[in-house]
Amino acid sequence: MTFTVKKTAAGAMAIAMSLAVLAGCGGNNGNSGNNGGAANEPAANSATNAAAENTAGTGGETKLSGDFTVQYFVGGYGDKWWKQVIADFKAANPDLNIKEEAGPQINTQNKPKWIAGNPPDFVYIDGPELNDRQMAEDGQLEDLTDWLQTATNVDGVKILDLLAQQPPQYGGKIYNVPLVLNSWGIFYNKALFEKNGWTEPKDWDTFLSSSEAIKAAGTTPFIHTGKYPYYINSSFLFPAIVSANGNDYKLLQDMGDSKVEAFKSPQVLEALGKIVELRDKGFIDKASVSINHTDSQMLFLQNKDAYIPNGLWLPNEMSKDVPADFKFGFIPSVTQKAGDKVVANTSTSTVAIAKNAKNKDAAKAFLQFIFSESQASKFAELSGAPSNIKGDISSSAAPDFVKQAAAFLTADTTVVVPTVTFNQDVDKAMQDATVALTIGKIDAQGWVDRVVKVVEKVAK
Amino acid sequence: MKLGGAKLQRKLFIAAFIIPTFLYFCLFTIYPIVQALYNSFYDWSGMSQNKDFVGLQNFKDLLQDPIMLTAIGNDYFLVAGKMIGIMVIATFFAVALTRLRIKGAGFFRSIFFIPNVLSVVVVGILWGFIYNPQIGFLNGFLSLFTKEPVTINWLGFESHSIWMLLPPTIWAGIGFYMILLIAAITNIPESLYEAADIEGAGQWHQFRHITLPLVWEQMKISVINIMMTTLNGSFVIVTIMTAGGPDNSTQVMGSYLYQQAFKQAHFGYGAAIGIAILTTSLITTLFLQWLLRKDQVEVS
Repeated sequence: MTFTVKKTAAGAMAIAMSLAVLAGCGGNNGNSGNNGGAANEPAANSATNAAAENTAGTGGETKLSGDFTVQYFVGGYGDKWWKQVIADFKAANPDLNIKEEAGPQINTQNKPKWIAGNPPDFVYIDGPELNDRQMAEDGQLEDLTDWLQTATNVDGVKILDLLAQQPPQYGGKIYNVPLVLNSWGIFYNKALFEKNGWTEPKDWDTFLSSSEAIKAAGTTPFIHTGKYPYYINSSFLFPAIVSANGNDYKLLQDMGDSKVEAFKSPQVLEALGKIVELRDKGFIDKASVSINHTDSQMLFLQNKDAYIPNGLWLPNEMSKDVPADFKFGFIPSVTQKAGDKVVANTSTSTVAIAKNAKNKDAAKAFLQFIFSESQASKFAELSGAPSNIKGDISSSAAPDFVKQAAAFLTADTTVVVPTVTFNQDVDKAMQDATVALTIGKIDAQGWVDRVVKVVEKVAK
Repeated sequence: MKLGGAKLQRKLFIAAFIIPTFLYFCLFTIYPIVQALYNSFYDWSGMSQNKDFVGLQNFKDLLQDPIMLTAIGNDYFLVAGKMIGIMVIATFFAVALTRLRIKGAGFFRSIFFIPNVLSVVVVGILWGFIYNPQIGFLNGFLSLFTKEPVTINWLGFESHSIWMLLPPTIWAGIGFYMILLIAAITNIPESLYEAADIEGAGQWHQFRHITLPLVWEQMKISVINIMMTTLNGSFVIVTIMTAGGPDNSTQVMGSYLYQQAFKQAHFGYGAAIGIAILTTSLITTLFLQWLLRKDQVEVS
């Protein structure tokens, strides 16, 4: 569902990215751009070597050849990075005939190929109608568990060691590797807070006290995207569950694995109680329930509401509409006790190799190629989002907020929750139940009862 | 022999028209329906290479799905609301623009038809703005008459939000049926009205006893068409304006089909919902045909 966000963001991001590129060309960074290109050569060569090593066991030839198809969805992160990395990979493997299947509609367009058992070799799982958990369950993705234990990237570094966030596991197996690393959280306008003397939130207590002050001043404290309730779930409820569980996100992962007991745990009720508290104190904007992300974000930018749960792509997405005196403040979670760590619930998009891929060697080599340290900066620059590759991007031409986000996600004071992909039925049930909870249709126990019913059906 | 040749030629001539159309019909209508029916017997994610045959299980689940019941209720609510709303207003406009001799009838005819030219998506977004609780036109307008600004969340009621989808769909639907009825009314010989005038019949009597019976066939078509397009097409306006929410209270069968098949990976179940839409459409069409049966009046 994030595609709606990303689609809308596409335009804004495209501009931001072209500006970034232009800035890079005009300034001193111009040189580094050239160097980057030059630096690719050795890296590219080692790609071939790595691939060679990889296939050596099966007696494969050193050179990659034949057709190699990459499917990538083009949304909010654009396609600049993909185009460049594919061109680099092609330069390193001239005998390889790389076919790009890309676009905002590619997931739908390529569906028949997947169903017919004729999928692309390599897939970037993002956008509508592609869900990594579902694809793994459908048996469409190659099991990478064993391979990844030893797989190294083009520079000879173990890929798993290079990942800020470890790959998700479905049924104890690894099928896909996170490429993007973004975070959900709560935004506010620092300028507005300074002007009114409101305290910026650090934890649940300060969040509540500031909300009191905000409400007293005649502003609505909290707006969310009720039409797509995964915003409030991902930014508010899930971090609250992790906080309630003593910063252990195992509970959330159990929920992701549709374990009934996890949903019945008191920690979930405690977290839901926080939404109830917001509701009962009248902090939630009544407009929330029916509006989409753009509308809720506009109201936030107009200072009609003080807090909004959203993702780190928000500043980029709304860049055209941000008032000049607006200063984004961001905290990954507000539901932790005073003195406790903040919880960053991440949002990611992953890459995978198709189980029915015809050129698995090339697909693996490509995976080894893109998960290199040099790509961390490039991805951040060209996509406007932090990548999942550990690497210092502080000197890159990436937008400032991307650098800040990257710094945030590597800080010791942050509990970084690996992205949990829920069963889609459970996810929908949680979204519906949360909306029902915010408008007082049900209570916290009602939320649990409803969702448990669906989980029980799914778990069968 | 010659006669037989002519017959054959005639048959060939007819076949030349029917066969291509029939083939297209089979390919683009019959085949998808058969496919949907086939898929509805399977548990299939819509992406997997494997389908599990589950027999009638999807249909059994359908009957016990509370959201499906809401969706059917909402569908028929929209059907009924649109039929009444569109037919009353379209008939009124059609009569007004033909029989009441209003100045600038051509202008109004174009104005009333404009919403029909807009895509449903545009209509949905437009009315989304009208209903917007904070910056919406409707609340802004109402606020003119109140001390406190009005902040009603028109699409966010716990229940009954479906009512709010009626005005946009009616607004968007009037034009076409108005034109249909205008065409029918202008076909009625002027002499009938002249005779009625001489007899002293007023506008209402003329409408009741001349216009209505003579455009009945068009009205019947309109009603059935509204029903079918609503059952099949409400999906768009619902998806754009409410996404079926809040809490599934505005879900219709079409939007629920989309939700299940493409967002929750239950393609087989979605196909079963599709079959349900087809079945309900057929039954309702037959029912309406029966209900609206009336001896056709023809002008001789």
